[in-house]
Amino acid sequence: MSAHATHHDEHHHAPGFIRKYVFSTDHKMIGIQYGITAMLFLAFGFYLMMVMRWSIAFPHQPLPEWMSWCFSDGWKARWLQDGKVTGETYNMFGAMHGTIMVFLGIVPLGFGAFGNYVTPLQIGAPDMAFPRLNMASYWVYLAGGLVMCASFFMESGAAKSGWTNYSPLAGFADGQIVNQWLAGQTQWLIGLVLLITSSLLGSVNFITTIINLRARGLTWMRMPFLVWAMLVTAFLLLLAFPPLEAAGIMQLMDRVAHSSFFMPSGLFTKTEGLADLSGGGSPLLFQHLFWFLGHPEVYVLLLPAFACVAEIIPVNTRKPLWGYKSMVYSVLLLGFLSFIVWAHHMYMTGMGAAVSTFFQTTTVLISIPSVVIITAMLISLWGGSIRFTPPMLWACAFIPMFGIGGLTGLPLAFNLADLHLHDTYYVIGHFHYVVAPGILFGLFGGVLHWYPKITGRYMSSWLNHLHFWPSLICMNIIFFPMLLQGMAGFHRRWYNGGDAYLDKATAATGDGGNVFANTVAQHIDMNILMSMGAWTLALAQIPFIINLFISWKTGRKVESDNPWNATTLEWATPTPPGHGNFTFEPAVYRGPYEYSRPDSEQDFIPQWEKPRQSSPAETKPSVH
Amino acid sequence: MEIPYIVTPRKDTGLFNSKIAIWLFLASEVMLFGGFFSAYVFLRLGADFPWPERTLPVLPGLINTFVLIGSSVTVVFAWASLKMGKWRHFQIYMGITIACAALFMVLKAIEYNVKFHHQAVRLTDYTVVEGHLGYEKENGEYVLNHHGSEVEENQIRIESGGLTFSTVRYHKPWVEEILSQAAHRNAEIKLAADVTARTSEGGNQDTLIAKAGEPLSLELLATIQKAHLKARAHNGALRTASLREEWKKTKAENPGKRGWQLASDVNIDVKALEEAGKLLTEISTVSFTVTPPVRLDFRPRDVREGETQSRLRDDTVIDGKLLPSPMGFHYVDAIDFRHLAMKAVNKGLDPIAAVENSWLIQNHTFAREAWEWNKAQVAKLEADLLKDHGVNEETGKPNREPTAKERYRIDWKDFVAMSDGVNRGEGKIALKEEFMGPDYKGREAKETFPMHFDLPREQVRFASKFTPAWNTYYALYFTITGLHGLHVIGGALVLAYYLFFGRKMFNSNPEWLANRVEVGGLFWHFVDLVWIFVFPIFYLM
Amino acid sequence: MANTAEEIQKSIRTYLIVGAALFVGTILTVAVATVPALDIGHHGFDMWDAILGLAIAATKATLVAAVFMHLNHEKKAVYWIFGSGIIFVIVLFGLTAFAKNDPIHDPLFYGRMSTTPAPLATPTLR
Repeated sequence: MSAHATHHDEHHHAPGFIRKYVFSTDHKMIGIQYGITAMLFLAFGFYLMMVMRWSIAFPHQPLPEWMSWCFSDGWKARWLQDGKVTGETYNMFGAMHGTIMVFLGIVPLGFGAFGNYVTPLQIGAPDMAFPRLNMASYWVYLAGGLVMCASFFMESGAAKSGWTNYSPLAGFADGQIVNQWLAGQTQWLIGLVLLITSSLLGSVNFITTIINLRARGLTWMRMPFLVWAMLVTAFLLLLAFPPLEAAGIMQLMDRVAHSSFFMPSGLFTKTEGLADLSGGGSPLLFQHLFWFLGHPEVYVLLLPAFACVAEIIPVNTRKPLWGYKSMVYSVLLLGFLSFIVWAHHMYMTGMGAAVSTFFQTTTVLISIPSVVIITAMLISLWGGSIRFTPPMLWACAFIPMFGIGGLTGLPLAFNLADLHLHDTYYVIGHFHYVVAPGILFGLFGGVLHWYPKITGRYMSSWLNHLHFWPSLICMNIIFFPMLLQGMAGFHRRWYNGGDAYLDKATAATGDGGNVFANTVAQHIDMNILMSMGAWTLALAQIPFIINLFISWKTGRKVESDNPWNATTLEWATPTPPGHGNFTFEPAVYRGPYEYSRPDSEQDFIPQWEKPRQSSPAETKPSVH
Repeated sequence: MEIPYIVTPRKDTGLFNSKIAIWLFLASEVMLFGGFFSAYVFLRLGADFPWPERTLPVLPGLINTFVLIGSSVTVVFAWASLKMGKWRHFQIYMGITIACAALFMVLKAIEYNVKFHHQAVRLTDYTVVEGHLGYEKENGEYVLNHHGSEVEENQIRIESGGLTFSTVRYHKPWVEEILSQAAHRNAEIKLAADVTARTSEGGNQDTLIAKAGEPLSLELLATIQKAHLKARAHNGALRTASLREEWKKTKAENPGKRGWQLASDVNIDVKALEEAGKLLTEISTVSFTVTPPVRLDFRPRDVREGETQSRLRDDTVIDGKLLPSPMGFHYVDAIDFRHLAMKAVNKGLDPIAAVENSWLIQNHTFAREAWEWNKAQVAKLEADLLKDHGVNEETGKPNREPTAKERYRIDWKDFVAMSDGVNRGEGKIALKEEFMGPDYKGREAKETFPMHFDLPREQVRFASKFTPAWNTYYALYFTITGLHGLHVIGGALVLAYYLFFGRKMFNSNPEWLANRVEVGGLFWHFVDLVWIFVFPIFYLM
Repeated sequence: MANTAEEIQKSIRTYLIVGAALFVGTILTVAVATVPALDIGHHGFDMWDAILGLAIAATKATLVAAVFMHLNHEKKAVYWIFGSGIIFVIVLFGLTAFAKNDPIHDPLFYGRMSTTPAPLATPTLR
């Protein structure tokens, strides 16, 4: 970096409101934009789920006013039957819940928001390598999200074939719409292509920034774990998404050009008769291309949460991250392995035994690096002087919750067990444990951890307790019964929660009844418990929202630029960091987690602090 | 604060930012095209129809390959000229590159255009017929439709006496189309009966929304739609409220019981609502009469036809007799029995006999003649191959045999050879025909191709132009080359920007411009690299 | 890499030679596909034609990548980046092809069954 560049800040004329807050090229503002947008989408996805949970728990009762007030009577007349959620509406909400949570909520929050805000700060860069590309990435993401959600208000409704959008089901859905460009299923694909474009721009930017804009002395093994995680995440997005983009384009062609990429020969439906298509395509091809992204996508969701927790733990235990190097190698291995496990989502498609065995093996293998990382985090707690600051609460809850999510995945990896569990609530329970109390808790921790840097104020600890404890309890109330129901055989797509089977149960028939129906009758009341949990969870988020906005103005002010006494570079910036981030030229003299060194009076030595005398661990900054 | 390493490379990585970025982008592009190519492998290996191998004219693809390779050489020269500080040379080389890109796209457009006008049809017995559709004629004159254009002979014709539109789903352009077709044939479309409805709560008198005999118009449909939607929304809210009330009551009467145990007993009291005059009238369909009944034409894809009643995709129901709606070929330029033969073999039938029993050969002399000619050609080829390559000693089978294409497909070049009275492959074909396909006008004069072939609708299994819809091969061809074409256009735009707006930067910071051109060039080479695979895969395999 | 004017002057010759090689390769690939005398394997298109055609294409692609795109002398980071793309595209190809042609899925995997094909009957096909 040219030395004179640091002194030229004052020569920049102050950008206007639009340039500063709307079309900003500053990575920090873009990060905040990503964060707020993603949280809005998360809230919307959550709302869709609340409606679905009503349908599951009380399929015969009209949606109550407190959930349906936001729709117009016209919309309700189209999509609800006498106020009850119909199967079609449930499918639509289900598909969009998945899509929104994964593509519009968590990825932008984890990768877009934290990646954008924290990564350049942690590597001592003035901004991302391509600020305008960064801005484009955000706006393309927003456009994609809005296109997808706008379809709720069209005659066709939004996409309704699951977030996986399998053909030929997805190929037929909305087929009655004459202008296919105005069908929800088509809009979903267009939105998806936009989102992939956005993440392509983002990931190119991230990787370039991490490779080329690291501060002087910040060698690869001195990079904080967060930066490593973001690097791997960016590679996953860069290389795993394009095959899905290809699949999306092909499915789009199937819709608008009537091609048959994914439509097999001889398709016949009750309403349409023999499909007017050439046939000869392969539905399995779509599944391959989808899951080639789909599985790495799981790690795209997960790694930013790992990253946040890995940053929170050392700060709050005043102790170096245990096994930093093995964590780094694990995350790299995790990234690699995530590309060769995808077909474990497809055991039931009739793949051959050799392929199933291969994917079963790699799937079991991938649990090793995940367990290494989670174990390293757990051991990092051992013997530390733990401060239960607000972010630390979330980090501590993350570990066991993610543990349950991860371990319940193992039976699904074995294709023998998967034959029984496939497409049951067990699967839903498994991945929601990973994503909701796992990943989201990690990200909540991240919000609380960096909030003082972003705003100069702490978030309220009291409101945080009001948010944390009910959330923790509700999450388990919702998801643990799912595992039980799943093992009993509850299918994940019942819009009425299994109600349709009850008239075959003992209670209805008077004799022994149907075995499966009896099982359903035994477990069906859990639906109500879970739904109550879900709605309570919604209430539990209110303190967080209040906290997020109130603390911006009224929170306790930070005492210094480094309020947690942390060691990584983002805490060397002014609070909040100005345009260009650093007031001095950052240089790095040591590893990222130098806490409680016996040779130091302070219990932490920041990466940027010049060594008093050189010791083997504290070398001069040198160009790697 | 400025972002470093835009112009000069960082020491330890040796790279400037945009070079890292372009390589990352290219890695991503590799995955994108990789996705498409693996789709190609997957679909080709799994194809349940004969893959149309070596089906495109090679010449346009070959020329395009040369064009693209040439542009790859010139773009690297353009970069080298910049590095050596020669602006003039840069301009020339970059200009050639962009001209090549334009030429490439023009050739591509010609190729596409030829296919978009070329019709194919798969008969119910899997015979495939290719050619050009004719236009409807009456007394030797082309019939003009209400747009003043000729009518392609691929319409579903219905003698329509009545139309019933769905009030929420009717598709505006189709209504307009029906209106103008009817007007063109001097028929009137009028409302069949009075549309009356209760439009406000409590009123006992129904309001007249539209009177019988009112002519069909978009405004009329919109009015009725509005009334319908209003009633639907109103009734929905009312019924919901009533159901809620019922649930409340039932739950209070049956404490401790689960919802699913009560569900069958809880119903909306519709009678009470009706007696109170609260429900409004929903008008979900509206019927019109066509007087006098006239022929209306619909595109085959838009309509599910029936003998007396047909339905459009927007739920419009057409009452009336289905008229004969054949597909009229002006020229037939290929007959293909490969799919039929494949199906026959799969069923354990003799493919030759199956071909000879096919509807086309049984009913049309031209097909029978062509088939006989083809059989003689195949026999000759078999004998030639046997003579040249002999027999496998172990199996006793000939070493080389005619391909399925040679056995079962008679394409336009074969028709040329047939009409020239020579053997397959020896017919006289002009260079322009190698490029653009047959010169139909000239061939018509020489009577090369079978002409005026009417295919009854009930023989059609699936029909399409040579578009992505025809089969997965063409779907892949258009999608991959289309995407590649978009890359060509994008790359050319970027390079053109450097050419036309680079002068200023060349004067102020030539190194930066050279970097940019290098990055743009890398992308351009990648586009070339993709084509290097696209060409053999689609044109030669 | 070639960065000075003299070095670039030298490499221009290489570019020309590679360009010519690409032209020749293109003609070759068309020739083996269209001239019957050069047809390898069976008569008409078959696996060997595919392998040969793709081999020629791969050679041409390698030339473009190595010389025009300067991959013959690039920085380590570029190899890592582009290499990862190539590796994962091979993974995508290999594993989907594997899934399509699973040996254990194949009824002949445990040995060829001795079945004689059914005799050909005379046909009507609807």
